[in-house]
Amino acid sequence: MKKTIYYFIYLLSFGMLLSCENSVSEATLSPYVPSNMDENAGNWKTFVLSSPTEVSLSAPAAINDPSYLREIDSLKNTVAPNLTNEQRQIVSYWGAGAVYRWNEIARELAARYNNAPAANSEGKYPVPDANNPLADPKFPFANPPYASRALAYLSVAQFDALVSTWKYKYQYNRPAPSVVDKGIKALLPVSNLPSYPSEDAVVGQASYVILLAMFPGEGSFLKSKLEECKNARLWAGMNVGSDIQAGVSLGGAVAAKVMQRAKADGMGAANNQAATADMMAGAKSMGISKVWTSQESPARPPLLPTFGNVKTWNFDRATLEAIRPSMPYVEGSAEFKKDWDELLAIEKNQTREQAAIANFWADGPGTYTPPGHWHRYGANAGFEAKYSEVRMARMLAYLGTAEMDAGIGCWDTKFYYYTPRPQQYGVKTSVGLPNFPSYTSGHSTFSAAGAEVLSAFFPQKASTFNSYAQQASDSRVYGLIHWRVDCTMGLKHGKIIGQYAVKRASQDGAL
Amino acid sequence: MKHTLLCVFISIWSMNTITAQLPHDQIYMNKNIACGALMYGNSSWTNYWENSLKRDNPNIGKLSTESLGAMIAYGITKKINALVMVPYVKTQASQGNLMGQQGFQDVSLWLKAKVFNYKQLHGHATLGVSTPMSNYVTEFMPMSIGLGAKTLSARGILNYNLPSNLYLSTTASYIFRSQVQVDRDSYLNGERLYYTNRVPVPDAFDAAFRMGYLKKENQLEVFAEHFSCAGGDDIRRNSMPFLTNDMTMTAVGAYAKYQPKSLGLSARVSYVIDGQNAGQSTQVTIGLLYLFKVK
Repeated sequence: MKKTIYYFIYLLSFGMLLSCENSVSEATLSPYVPSNMDENAGNWKTFVLSSPTEVSLSAPAAINDPSYLREIDSLKNTVAPNLTNEQRQIVSYWGAGAVYRWNEIARELAARYNNAPAANSEGKYPVPDANNPLADPKFPFANPPYASRALAYLSVAQFDALVSTWKYKYQYNRPAPSVVDKGIKALLPVSNLPSYPSEDAVVGQASYVILLAMFPGEGSFLKSKLEECKNARLWAGMNVGSDIQAGVSLGGAVAAKVMQRAKADGMGAANNQAATADMMAGAKSMGISKVWTSQESPARPPLLPTFGNVKTWNFDRATLEAIRPSMPYVEGSAEFKKDWDELLAIEKNQTREQAAIANFWADGPGTYTPPGHWHRYGANAGFEAKYSEVRMARMLAYLGTAEMDAGIGCWDTKFYYYTPRPQQYGVKTSVGLPNFPSYTSGHSTFSAAGAEVLSAFFPQKASTFNSYAQQASDSRVYGLIHWRVDCTMGLKHGKIIGQYAVKRASQDGAL
Repeated sequence: MKHTLLCVFISIWSMNTITAQLPHDQIYMNKNIACGALMYGNSSWTNYWENSLKRDNPNIGKLSTESLGAMIAYGITKKINALVMVPYVKTQASQGNLMGQQGFQDVSLWLKAKVFNYKQLHGHATLGVSTPMSNYVTEFMPMSIGLGAKTLSARGILNYNLPSNLYLSTTASYIFRSQVQVDRDSYLNGERLYYTNRVPVPDAFDAAFRMGYLKKENQLEVFAEHFSCAGGDDIRRNSMPFLTNDMTMTAVGAYAKYQPKSLGLSARVSYVIDGQNAGQSTQVTIGLLYLFKVK
């Protein structure tokens, strides 16, 4: 009997060991002083603003002005003594940087909204309605093109607003509260960056405007994040109220200008299903004997067939057509057969490693999509390099515009050739099948474009980013939803698209 | 040799995966007596609950999970038994293009002990652990063969003997489940996106009520069972399930065993009548039992 009690104790302790770990831990992000304050960023080339001072911002009160002194007094004697632990945690969260956090929030929203509408009882798929965003299906369906666009406008608005911010910061040169009054103990690292207007408030308000337009059902969530973002600066003793108010005004005005471009970029016409008949006819005339058809039941209309017509950022329409990948292999050719045999071999004997690569890069429903994955890498690389806010936003703006251009270029290609998925020939998939034509691979295009831009900004990490792009591309063959040619040509195409963003960055003096 | 017999059964609980394979009977092997069993299980569903919405999915059709389990029960003493089970699991969807998965799933070990006797009332307790035998894919639900979590389960069994070889029995258990390492490096849990490859699988509990007839080697039983998670999120609209889901199921079923000599047969049928984040499974398990003496 005694012996069996030991068995029980042994088992119990084994079990306790495994059940103790009940919460997951994520990397913690310690706030830093930027390695470079980028004092001249007020002269950097913007994407949408015609000049850094296109939006005007009035001068702040002087630091000996009674109104300013009251703000300082409030930080010191009202805010700081009454700080709660919860507020300190919020300060710590936003201490990672407003650009970083808002990029992360956008990725989370993309993941939450990345679900294809369900078919209704008539077997039709209702189109999400921007005017009724929380109905079923929710608006938006944040698929990869949608996410690429949302992140592009977010980053561009943040960047343009921050260039303007830097301009005014160094024009007005208002010191940080803790520099003005040594009695203020800031909770975050203090640099010599002028504090008017608050860069966090600028980024917060600009991000709020863009994300509310992209995710109109998330008003209250975004509002609460915006309030946190602004209040954290007061709680941390980093800004006074007038720094914040100026930031809100500047950030909101710049974002409104960026939204003007967004409204006119053709996204509203990106789901023109009536165009598909001509597209299919065009593909057939080029020799694609078996065009793409939806493999879903009931058949689902293809995802954004005219997204390829949306306005690009870093090259024009003629270039888009000029760099469109050439004709893929057609059924009956030896090359087609070779690609098919590769898929058959994987289907028969997919290794665990292949499955893992396919899963890692799947970035399918319920995720931030491949553009989100690359923004994550960009934001993390900028964080590691201790980028200033404006430098972070700049890098993400080139990345974001390259990702959106990659989406546009790839969708143009997909619907130009209208090629079938391997599933139309009978293989299954281990990751789920996207509902649009096969050639070229979106993952390959997004990833090569992302790797190209990030390698230009972080040359020491180029080999890592390039290997990620290769792996993301391979993952679609391993997951059995793309032909090899979709991936190799997608990588090439994405690299060229990335090069246009790099060229622009170089011409702008960003590299 | 007095034939004190074993009965085992496998509960295929979740939408497609065996997550609660727990012996919950009142029957013990004598000391040094072992029973080997081969169990074949087939669980399938066409309808499932996406969160609380009951639906079918023409891109899955009928999802079938077949399992073949090898099991050994052994009498450490007359009052303490140990059981080990190794299952091989295979999944398949009748429609759509999702690839079936197969492989060795989780090896389980249980100890079962008599805790008390009071007149016709008997109390038992089991303690079980399980751990994946292979590095199978867990995040490709509902095609995955298992959840990949290590588990520790503790169960209490109350058995009341009625006249004419009838009995009533009730069980309750709590299942601790470990985090799982997935291939991806981010996932949604509720409304939050987590940037890690560690996924918490919610703990679970179950409860059952059984009544039956047991005479020597032969047994007939009907039961109702309930399985639920301690927390977890819901399947999002028109999405696939995930490891973090709060699965809930209520099932009814019947079990029979016939073992005239050392060879025996068992059969179990169950049907999920209500649930959330789970498939409406019909499950059939057939077992071939073989009793032998060790030493």
